[in-house]
Amino acid sequence: MISVNPTTTNAEKLDLANLAPEQTALSIKNLDLFYGEDQALYDISMHVPKNRVTAFIGPSGCGKSTLLRCINRMNDLVEICKVKGDIELHGKNIYDKDVDVAALRRRIGMVFQRPNPFPKSIYENVVYGLRLQGVKDRRVLDEAVETSLRGAALWDEVKDRLNASAFSLSGGQQQRLVIARSIAIEPEILLLDEPTSALDPISTLTIEELITDLKKKFTVVIVTHNMQQAARVSDQTAFLYMGKLIEYADTDTLFTTPSEKQTEDYITGRYG
Amino acid sequence: MNKWFRTGKPWIWLTAGAVSVSLIAVIGLVIMIGWRGLSFFWPSAIHEMDVLQADGSTKHIIGEVYDTETVPTTRLPQSMIDLAQIESETVTRYLMKIGNREYVPLDFTWVLESLVSEDTTPADLAVIERSKDGNFYGRITALTENGEVIARQGDADFRELMYQRVERAVELNLQAMGLQEGEISSINYQLNELELERRRLQLDDQLTEQAIADLQAQREQLNADYQVYEKELFELREQAQRDALLVKDFRGEEVKVPMYRVLDVNFPNDMGFFAKLAHFFQQLGKFVSEDPREANTEGGVFPAIFGTVFMVLLMSVIVTPFGVVAAVYLHEYAGKNSITKLIRIAVINLAGVPSIVYGVFGLGFFVYMVGGSLDQIFYPEALPNPTFGTPGVLWSAVTLAILTLPVVIVSTEEGLARIPSTLREGSLALGATKWETIWRIIIPMASPAIMTGLILAVARAAGEVAPLMLVGVVKSAPMLPVDGNFPYFHLDRKFMHLGFHIYDVGFQSPNVEAARPLVYATSFLLITVIVGLNLTAIGVRNHLREKYRSLEH
Repeated sequence: MISVNPTTTNAEKLDLANLAPEQTALSIKNLDLFYGEDQALYDISMHVPKNRVTAFIGPSGCGKSTLLRCINRMNDLVEICKVKGDIELHGKNIYDKDVDVAALRRRIGMVFQRPNPFPKSIYENVVYGLRLQGVKDRRVLDEAVETSLRGAALWDEVKDRLNASAFSLSGGQQQRLVIARSIAIEPEILLLDEPTSALDPISTLTIEELITDLKKKFTVVIVTHNMQQAARVSDQTAFLYMGKLIEYADTDTLFTTPSEKQTEDYITGRYG
Repeated sequence: MNKWFRTGKPWIWLTAGAVSVSLIAVIGLVIMIGWRGLSFFWPSAIHEMDVLQADGSTKHIIGEVYDTETVPTTRLPQSMIDLAQIESETVTRYLMKIGNREYVPLDFTWVLESLVSEDTTPADLAVIERSKDGNFYGRITALTENGEVIARQGDADFRELMYQRVERAVELNLQAMGLQEGEISSINYQLNELELERRRLQLDDQLTEQAIADLQAQREQLNADYQVYEKELFELREQAQRDALLVKDFRGEEVKVPMYRVLDVNFPNDMGFFAKLAHFFQQLGKFVSEDPREANTEGGVFPAIFGTVFMVLLMSVIVTPFGVVAAVYLHEYAGKNSITKLIRIAVINLAGVPSIVYGVFGLGFFVYMVGGSLDQIFYPEALPNPTFGTPGVLWSAVTLAILTLPVVIVSTEEGLARIPSTLREGSLALGATKWETIWRIIIPMASPAIMTGLILAVARAAGEVAPLMLVGVVKSAPMLPVDGNFPYFHLDRKFMHLGFHIYDVGFQSPNVEAARPLVYATSFLLITVIVGLNLTAIGVRNHLREKYRSLEH
């Protein structure tokens, strides 16, 4: 059995099936997803609670990343991808025709598997999103840079070289820079797609600590193939298998007393 | 043996050999052209020869040995073989440049080595470079002012005095030329504009009495100015005509060489190594900075260098945005289907169309159709004289831009394809639209690839001559496409081009022998210009590469 970090899970347990609207960040309703003829997600329904860390776990190819990328419509980039069902943000389906995708993505930020800083300075990386919104006031930008870099626990390391190229940072620092870049535009929800899979253990630890901090201001959804990580950082965990949501519960419950056989097999390492 | 083959060593030898051959070819080419071209500027000795003639007399000649050649005896006429009493199978002959064009039918002559009875290189022989009729070879005997001899060869400071007078004449000529190309040409330009203005008003039915009077007043003012400058010009010319040199030529006759035609006087036989070196660089400097003279066989090639560089830069300015925009559409927006593929194949194949075809297209479409229409719409006052409806530097640049467009599109697309998709996603995830992502992230990152395309485009465009002959190049352009008259850039003007200059000097020149070293020198210069342009572009690209180094750790 995997030990669950008590500091992250001591929050009150929520009734995930009947979450009150003011506690809900996002509701996924009967979501099906197809890549051409192949169905990748089957009838997913779940509520993501506000200001908490929700983890998606499951073996490779189970659809956890695909599900995450549905939340900020990143799958729109894949031409053959078709989505059926609803994802509701404040009661509004984000797949409605009148939704401005760029505006949606400003509200739902995303951090990817490999650090992807832009070929610009550290400063310019952080203010990229703000500049897109037309912010030109140097004071506002400076302030946002400091707040975001502090928020991403990177400020002390880079405050003296904000104009250095982002590529001069190490992999872990780059990933935190990407997180700083995402939180600079103050999204409601932050999606993390295996954010530590390309990093060394020490950087991983820093980022995990950061995630715990982030939930004070943001709702965090994290995809990870690392069950220990899910157990350490998340408040509730969803287990996906073969495109289906098998079990969704408090991290504590899911890792200690899973109700499904498949979940138990997976977390005890029988497959995956 | 079999074993040796299996080691793979022959393969290494083969590949290395191929590289070596290419390298030797390139270096050999550059060295050959460079040597032939640059040695033209090195002052060569002036020979004074006595040559036996068929009638038994001897002929006295003065000149430079331009070329030495070994020919089979059988190619010579029998009379000459008998005369020279040649028994060997081959014989050496010299090509002599004897100059003095106004006194000889041809300023080049072949001399059989065995007929030369005496060959000396006296130090007092002078080469007089002239602005007309080419070089004059002979012995300077005296300097005259207003027809009076003021100094003779052998006087203590004769050369010094002579150089002073040469310098004065050159200076006066320069002033006259400056006046002619500056103020006087400006007045002519303005007079022309006034005439166009009158015509424009006439076409618009606004040519009132008042307007006519205005124009007339302006014209009279300009004419008055012109009179002043013209008087000044004539005065300068008259002053320049004051002095002359008396020179004893190859016939032994004393000939008057007016000073206003003299550009320089040299005594190559009297020069040490360093004097020759200084002379070499001076000649080289003149070659790249002066206008051509005498149907391009003398003087410099500055307008051609300027025309080449200007046209290529103009082409780059046109082709880069077009190519990049087209590549962005093809790669980012166009659906990934067979039509896109077809378009891409068509674009790549455009690069294989012979360049002269582009020239014909440019003439038919740009010059006659587009240019003709522009004239109808914007320059009706100048008709029937065409403004843009005639070959010019703009149409040349546009034609070459079309010619090089595929290169830019292909390499830009390759650059776009190399950008990791994670960067696009990163930008999109921050709420950027596709357009913002392309503009802020993709294009800057693809800029080294765009520069690569531009480098290839410049290399191809700077060397193209055939299409230009149809759309704007001329052997001699009276004015540069950029000058001091508003609007400063005159894209409708014809221009000179180094590539065409080579063709013109080498094949269209009335004086083929005189032109040959110029062909090499101009070729070398063309290579230098292209290499210079490319090095600049490569420098920019390396800088960009460093800036947008890819994400690999």
